[in-house]
Amino acid sequence: MKREDTIEIRWHGRGGQGAVTSAELTALSAIHENKFAQAFPSFGPERRGAPVLAFNRISAEHPIRVRSSVIKPDIVVVLDPGLVTLINVVDGLKPGGWLIVNSTRSIDDLQSEFSGDWKLAVVDASSIARELLRVNIVNTTMLGALIKTTGVINIDSLKEQLEVKFGARAKANLEACRKAFATTVISSIKTGGQKKVRTFAVENLAKWSELPVGCVVTDVGNTKQFCTGDWKAQHPVWNDSKCIKCGICSLFCPEFCISQQKDGYFRANEFYCKGCGICAQECWTQCITMVEEA
Amino acid sequence: MTAKRIGIESSLAVAEAVRLANVDVIAAYPITPQTHIVEGLAEMVANGHLDAEYIPVESEHSAMSSCLGASAVGARAFTATASQGLILMHEVLLVAASLRLPVVMAVTNRALSGPLNIWGDHSDVMIARDAGWIQIFAENGQQAFDQTLCAFRIAEHQDVLLPVIINFDGFHVSHVIEPMHFLDQKTVDEFLPPYRHPHALDPDKPVTMGGFAMPNMYTEGRKSLDTALRESKKVILDTWKQFGDIAGRYYKPVEKYQAENADTLLVTVGSYSENAMDAVDKMQAEGKKVGLVRVRLWRPFPYKEIIEALSGATNVIVLDRAISLGGPAPVCSEIRAALYSLKDRPQVVSIVGGLGGRDISPANFEKLIATALDKIKTGDAAETIMFGVRE
Amino acid sequence: METLSIYAPKLITSREYIASGHRACSGCGEVLAMRYVCKALGRNTIISNATGCMEIISTPLPQTAWEVPWIHTLFENASAVASGIECGLKALKRKHGYTREVKVVAMGGDGATADIGLQSLSGAMERGHDFIYVCYDNEAYMNTGIQRSSETPFGASTTTAPSGKASMGQHTWQKNMAAIAAAHEIQYVATSCSSYPFDIMTKVEKAIKIKGPSYIHILSVCPTGWRCPSNSTIKMGRLAVETGIFPMYEIENGKYTLNIDLPKLRPVEDYLKLQGRFRHLDKDNTAEIQEKVLDEYNKVKRLAAGNKAK
Repeated sequence: MKREDTIEIRWHGRGGQGAVTSAELTALSAIHENKFAQAFPSFGPERRGAPVLAFNRISAEHPIRVRSSVIKPDIVVVLDPGLVTLINVVDGLKPGGWLIVNSTRSIDDLQSEFSGDWKLAVVDASSIARELLRVNIVNTTMLGALIKTTGVINIDSLKEQLEVKFGARAKANLEACRKAFATTVISSIKTGGQKKVRTFAVENLAKWSELPVGCVVTDVGNTKQFCTGDWKAQHPVWNDSKCIKCGICSLFCPEFCISQQKDGYFRANEFYCKGCGICAQECWTQCITMVEEA
Repeated sequence: MTAKRIGIESSLAVAEAVRLANVDVIAAYPITPQTHIVEGLAEMVANGHLDAEYIPVESEHSAMSSCLGASAVGARAFTATASQGLILMHEVLLVAASLRLPVVMAVTNRALSGPLNIWGDHSDVMIARDAGWIQIFAENGQQAFDQTLCAFRIAEHQDVLLPVIINFDGFHVSHVIEPMHFLDQKTVDEFLPPYRHPHALDPDKPVTMGGFAMPNMYTEGRKSLDTALRESKKVILDTWKQFGDIAGRYYKPVEKYQAENADTLLVTVGSYSENAMDAVDKMQAEGKKVGLVRVRLWRPFPYKEIIEALSGATNVIVLDRAISLGGPAPVCSEIRAALYSLKDRPQVVSIVGGLGGRDISPANFEKLIATALDKIKTGDAAETIMFGVRE
Repeated sequence: METLSIYAPKLITSREYIASGHRACSGCGEVLAMRYVCKALGRNTIISNATGCMEIISTPLPQTAWEVPWIHTLFENASAVASGIECGLKALKRKHGYTREVKVVAMGGDGATADIGLQSLSGAMERGHDFIYVCYDNEAYMNTGIQRSSETPFGASTTTAPSGKASMGQHTWQKNMAAIAAAHEIQYVATSCSSYPFDIMTKVEKAIKIKGPSYIHILSVCPTGWRCPSNSTIKMGRLAVETGIFPMYEIENGKYTLNIDLPKLRPVEDYLKLQGRFRHLDKDNTAEIQEKVLDEYNKVKRLAAGNKAK
């Protein structure tokens, strides 16, 4: 059983964005404050760009023994703005819990995505990270929003952990964290206030008795059902007037998802495009630009 | 019907069974005491007596891997090994079972290092106990021949599709010349239908074999494999019945010898069973109520037959020809567990003996039984006895 | 622009044998290399894949990206499995009326090829099985999180040979797999790179025609492990070739041909400075690498020139 005073956090990010580091820094800071804490990733073969999870448990009083996934978090932090519409980020979020989102969207707009009795915090962490860290990696920046909203750790203990982890780069990370602290906007979500209802994919897996001999897969090429388009933070846009229809973009696409249309111009299938940007980089006439996901 | 009676070394008899099975691919690496089997096969291939591909691989790991490849395209594959060779291919054994590839392998059971020892012992196959293979023990050359033929039919049965190990003791069986009855080619052809894998690798019907399972799939995969192995017993029993009908030699998962009115039952596995028979005969002639129970089918473990054979006895003595360092001897520990749910269960004594080729003669078996009964009398039967060790 | 077919990319078959929806990292060069290999191989192929990135990203049960028959068993035995497949097919043809001409192909990463699987590869080449071995060399164990292999370049920082105050990272030079393959006196050995689709496809097409073993070593750019942007994959492979760090050549019956013989090589710095794994290197390190690269490049060049002289 989970002790009453244990706070559980679920981090949503993408492979390579540092959600695991966020969870680690949170736990280390809490431990530094003489609390009990855990940090752990969702173990799996997720690759750079794929949606991933990381978890924390923090208790001021009791040693933490539970090693299962966090199913009913008190706090959900979303590092990647795009994930809000792709994944049911509020799944299991306790009534009265915090949803903390990195987004450029207004808080009113975000409120309309959800229905439930939760507190909502929004910060444009990507802009802060780009400005102060020169990369779109928001794991440390988002800690500022976490501290402001929930106070599960304090900024001084985080400062020490940042120094250990990042050395000379700790200063900029801390600055980003403080800026997020200062600019996080807080509101709340109401049950029934949701405007857009989204449906999320539910896994429907075979019973043991339905598995083919040796677990072979006979439906070859069925990864086509799998949407890797969720992974992208940016997508290619073609300026057809510059396109010479050479097809180099298609040739070098690691998702094999760029094809020629009837009009002779090329487009990426957004269902698979992971937004690597190779097509834009390799285009002979530079007719492709990468545009950030909304 | 049964062909003429001949004298031949057991290893060569197994090679003959493999030839009669018209195997397609043999991949093997030399290791004592298995070499005579694959040398025999290599000679048959070289002389044109067997139309098969012989792959002289560079390790046992590759021997089993090549067998998997061959089996996966629908070719009948065989290998043989022992001891360290079996241990080196261990990683591949697991995959053969999980991919449901019906490779047949002869294991001339031999001790494990160290110290290095090339003689008879069951420690090698006991370590492979949980690999997902059907495992059968033969006690002499005739049984090794018969069981090798049965193995292909069991393994390739469409309800089974699992690899099979035929165990027989290194040297004590493998290198002994004995009288045997072979079957003729026509009889074998009728007994053993051609091998077909439902999902063989073929460009006309592409499949993916060997994907990985995350926590949400792995348990189902293991359950499916475990069930296939447990349920293979039906096919094993049916195959042995059919084989008996054509060859006149019938086999059972657990076989009893002079066990009807015995108070004390000795349980053995492998070639020592025949030595023990002589001891039992002598002791019974002396009026002692001693009988013998031999385990032939080791995987799937024959719970029902073990209970049926042993539940009426007062004392059960299990001889393991393998040592589980720091733990209970493997065969005895499983038999104890099988009997545990009985209300009136016999006393069970665990004996480890015959390691690394050390002999247990019929006379020694009498001594072994006496030692065990002594322990029961004195009430300290809980510990494993190491028999025949210099103290 | 109506004469579309003049553009080389459009000469390549649009048929794919690996489906989209695979889980490779964004910007993966290895999956691109594998795509070109498979396009050249076509449908009459059976693939034996070693454990590694390409196996993991393509076959999470109950899904598969593969559209040709494919088997994965373990890390170190792809060549031994391929040996069995090849012999199994031979027996099926001779004895059981199987008629299709199938090329057997074993594939693995640099770890599966140059480290743990070297023995089974050597065994299969020595025995002369009719198969192609393709090594996708991304220069470390990327699948498990960027640990060093015997193909990790001198000076690169990996998670098991990290750079630090007391270490420059990898302090050994790469194992020369093409030379090791060639030492087995097989008919065809080639090196190629994920940024050169036509080169890869031409070489695979040559290998298909060989009766016996052939070996193709493909430098496969890994933006995750090399710590470079995901859009730089193609550029990075080109730089590896243009600096002479990765010469592309063939060894046909022992005869070397340097496929891209540049009149002037770019300085290695152009390549090293763009990758996080080399960020810690100083001028001396770079100079040492430059010297070794020129030595090795010239060695291949001399071997190729020797052929011409004959």
